[in-house]
Amino acid sequence: MTRPPATSDAELVRRCREGDRAAWDLLVERYSRYVYGICVRVFRLPESDAEDVFQEVFARVFARLDTLRDEAALRPWIAQLTRRLCLDTLAGASRERPSPEPVPEEVEAALEELDDAFAVREALARLPEPCRELLDRFFARDQSYRTISAELDLPAGTIASRIARCLRKLRLELEGRSGSEAPSRE
Amino acid sequence: MTAERYLELQLDDVLRDLAAGGGAPGGGSAAALTLAFAASLVVMVARSSESAWPEAPGVAAQALALRDRAAVLAEADAEAWGDALIALAGAESGGDPRRDFALEQHLSRAAEVPLEIAALAADTAALAAVAADRCDGAYRADAVAGAALAAGAASASAHLVQVNLAVRRDDPRLARAQAAARAAWEDAQRALDTAR
Repeated sequence: MTRPPATSDAELVRRCREGDRAAWDLLVERYSRYVYGICVRVFRLPESDAEDVFQEVFARVFARLDTLRDEAALRPWIAQLTRRLCLDTLAGASRERPSPEPVPEEVEAALEELDDAFAVREALARLPEPCRELLDRFFARDQSYRTISAELDLPAGTIASRIARCLRKLRLELEGRSGSEAPSRE
Repeated sequence: MTAERYLELQLDDVLRDLAAGGGAPGGGSAAALTLAFAASLVVMVARSSESAWPEAPGVAAQALALRDRAAVLAEADAEAWGDALIALAGAESGGDPRRDFALEQHLSRAAEVPLEIAALAADTAALAAVAADRCDGAYRADAVAGAALAAGAASASAHLVQVNLAVRRDDPRLARAQAAARAAWEDAQRALDTAR
């Protein structure tokens, strides 16, 4: 069974602007890891600074969402806000205790990696549950085919092919072509 | 020798490490590295078959994951076996219960890693058999070679579990390692049959 399609960013922005509380919750849930990831993994902020930036980012999103011109550009907008606040935080900290400035190329590469991870996570969320389960067990939890077969009560000889089919679906999701796929048993 | 990042070393350095005296890295690391070669062959076969096999990229991605895990286990085995050898040398004077307990812990860990390698080898052989069945025929022999190498790694690892001093005959780890080796050989045989 396929899950209903996830709410698009443009739809989310429209609903937030109309004052839909549930949409705000969804926006924060969707972007909280992303924002935190930029703070901690890209700019390597200490936890307390990362939490401050995190709060400030969502406060500004809440206050300034009406200024976002392209409703579909929510993610780059949030990324830009977060990045600016992280740099401000680092600049403030270096006045008190000098530390090396972030290397722009490294920041760009880390942001790109984080964007890819975010895109994969979003695409995974749109896959049918059995596929998400299989991919999570094999790639995230490093489970063997034998373990997966035993725990999901699936024939051992079919696990590798099932995972391959699920990866194909994930790829199509990432390329935005899932609608063209014929339905399968996964 | 301490664990090294095998994927970052030159092949010549890896072979020199294996050939150096001292016992670690030893058979477990060699089995894991053989497995990494087997998985790499499956990656190559799948990538070379993409035009005729829609699931090939998904098989390549799985084989890459198996290859990376094998490289990690090669290091882990060198470290675990190195620690066990040091503990064994220290225990030769005998008569210290705390040292005996520590030795048993080290040996137990030294059995766990080859067990993980055997399980990974079974997965690699299974994936290689799928590749042998579905790949572009021009690359079938490489898929079969991958399956056979994986089966060899599984048998070697199961043997290392068996001879480990901490593993008794009724230890479930031994049964799991032997089951993995049997499964790997069945898949290797299946792969060989596709080539006939």
